Amino acid sequence: MMKKGRKTYGRNRKHNGHLLMMSAPAIIWFVLFCYVPMFGAAFAFKNFTPKPGESLVRNLFVNSRWCGFENFSFLVRSSDMSNILFNTLFYNVIFLVAGIAVPVVLAILLTEIHGKRFLGVVQMVLLLPYFLSWVIVGYCLYGFLATDEGLVNHVLKLLGSAGVQWYQSPKYWRGILIATGLWKSTGYSMVIYLCAITSIDRTLYESASLDGAGFWDRVRYITLPQLLPTIITIFILQIGSLLNSDFGLFYQVPLDSDSLASVTQTLDVYVYKALMQQANFSYSSAASFLQSFIGCILLVTAHVIISKMGDQDSVGV
Amino acid sequence: MEEYVRPLDSSFSKRVNRVVTAVFAILAAAVFIPVLLVFVVSVSSQESVAAIGYSFFPQSLSLEAYRYLLLSGSYLARAFVNSVIITVAGTVLGLAIMSPFAYALSRREFRYRKALFVFIMFPMLFSGGLVSSYMINTQVFHLGNTYLALILPGLCSTWYILIMRNYFRESMPEEMIDAAKIDGCSHPQIFARIVMPLSKPVIMTIAVFEIFAYWNSWYPSLLYVDSNHTELYPLQYVLVNMERSIETITNDAQFVSGIQSYSPPAVTIRMAMVVVVILPVMILFPFFRKFLDTGMTVGSVKG
Repeated sequence: MMKKGRKTYGRNRKHNGHLLMMSAPAIIWFVLFCYVPMFGAAFAFKNFTPKPGESLVRNLFVNSRWCGFENFSFLVRSSDMSNILFNTLFYNVIFLVAGIAVPVVLAILLTEIHGKRFLGVVQMVLLLPYFLSWVIVGYCLYGFLATDEGLVNHVLKLLGSAGVQWYQSPKYWRGILIATGLWKSTGYSMVIYLCAITSIDRTLYESASLDGAGFWDRVRYITLPQLLPTIITIFILQIGSLLNSDFGLFYQVPLDSDSLASVTQTLDVYVYKALMQQANFSYSSAASFLQSFIGCILLVTAHVIISKMGDQDSVGV
Repeated sequence: MEEYVRPLDSSFSKRVNRVVTAVFAILAAAVFIPVLLVFVVSVSSQESVAAIGYSFFPQSLSLEAYRYLLLSGSYLARAFVNSVIITVAGTVLGLAIMSPFAYALSRREFRYRKALFVFIMFPMLFSGGLVSSYMINTQVFHLGNTYLALILPGLCSTWYILIMRNYFRESMPEEMIDAAKIDGCSHPQIFARIVMPLSKPVIMTIAVFEIFAYWNSWYPSLLYVDSNHTELYPLQYVLVNMERSIETITNDAQFVSGIQSYSPPAVTIRMAMVVVVILPVMILFPFFRKFLDTGMTVGSVKG
């Protein structure tokens, strides 16, 4: 017995060693590109005053003094911050609601289509924009909105009205950005929900039909409840990025036009510009720390609340 | 995933079915039309664009823009090669790192399984933010203006690892792995000889996601490649710098062809370049489509 026990132990140790070896490259990557930058959160609480020629670690931890929440109070008091926060929340709430409602409705409707070949083509076309980059999407939109050659302005001129300088007119861009965002993401989300609907036990529907349930009854009492776990998972993940935004949508799609800044500038764009164009480390690090910190709190809160409400382990953490 | 169950088959009349079909036909057209416009403009003649703007019905067609892109040679070709290098290297390296790790996580007897699960989930909760990643990547790892900057930061993803782990756990028969172990196989051998060949669907799924992600990536170039290193630009970033790119391309083309006085079809070149970037995606997309479903069942990613 003793002998056998020791042997298994030895073998297990060998196996564990091998498995650890197989994990090593990924672990190293996570340490270098996820965990090491976490210490950089210190940027947000430092008055960053680098001395040239010294290493980043020395500059950050030795040469810069701790300044508590100074960076944050400066950030909050900066004049355009309220607008930036409003934009970030505004677009995110809209994408949170519409980004779930529209694809769910479309997925439910899509199950109504009988032609299988048509179904395949429709799915493929709707999915395509998700796999185009924001740069490409920006130029697709440019084809319509360009001031001189754009299709829309050309049609407007045919109709007798003067063209619009789209890339200089902020008032249209909330709508344009929302439409573009949904254009790109809806197909992908729709297929996710479609997969979830497909995995619903078919006998549920059959017995419901036998009991005389109509279309709406079945959507209401079978499809939606069965989709709920998927919806909740996606909802929680989205809540966690409430202060994040798709950088490409807000930077590249409006072609970084300054006159549109009042409606296109979100926190991500602000962080990027503060860092790369103004080299303003305190503002941008404070802003990006806030994004990450508040996102983390929201994610955990949403997860806890929802697992208390129904006892499902929604994200699987 | 091939056959979608249509739970509501009988609930709607033929007429409703036709209406829904029409709605989706319109929707699909609306989604595709912007892409179509880019294609049409890229083959329109410059005169047509000057007269009636970007239009679905150009007055005359011309391949002038593409001729220019071909003539310009090195600048665009270099960017194309860069995009291919980044895509291939990122995809292969990413899979080489993630798949053995996912396999290790899928083994129940692995002692550090739980700890490592938390280890990869935590970065999804909290990250150091853009500023610290940028500063560390440039000043500590010295990735600025290198290919590595365009490849390494996006290499691994917790999602992909979880998708692969679930596949390995659910689709690999436990008895087979045990039998291999009794026969004296070690885990790396089991992984390389048994699990990998049997896991083509999930490997392909992740590969497809990675390929599209790297082909479409431009944010790393925006951050890490400065304008003195145009030789590192991938295609997407050439598009971001469109105005400068058009200038470079026309200079190159005029130099090669020797036509000096001749004005370049700048308005159509723009769209022709976009087509050059979209075309590989469009061609590969139908082939890749069938692999996407596996990865999309996010709902099945559970701990």
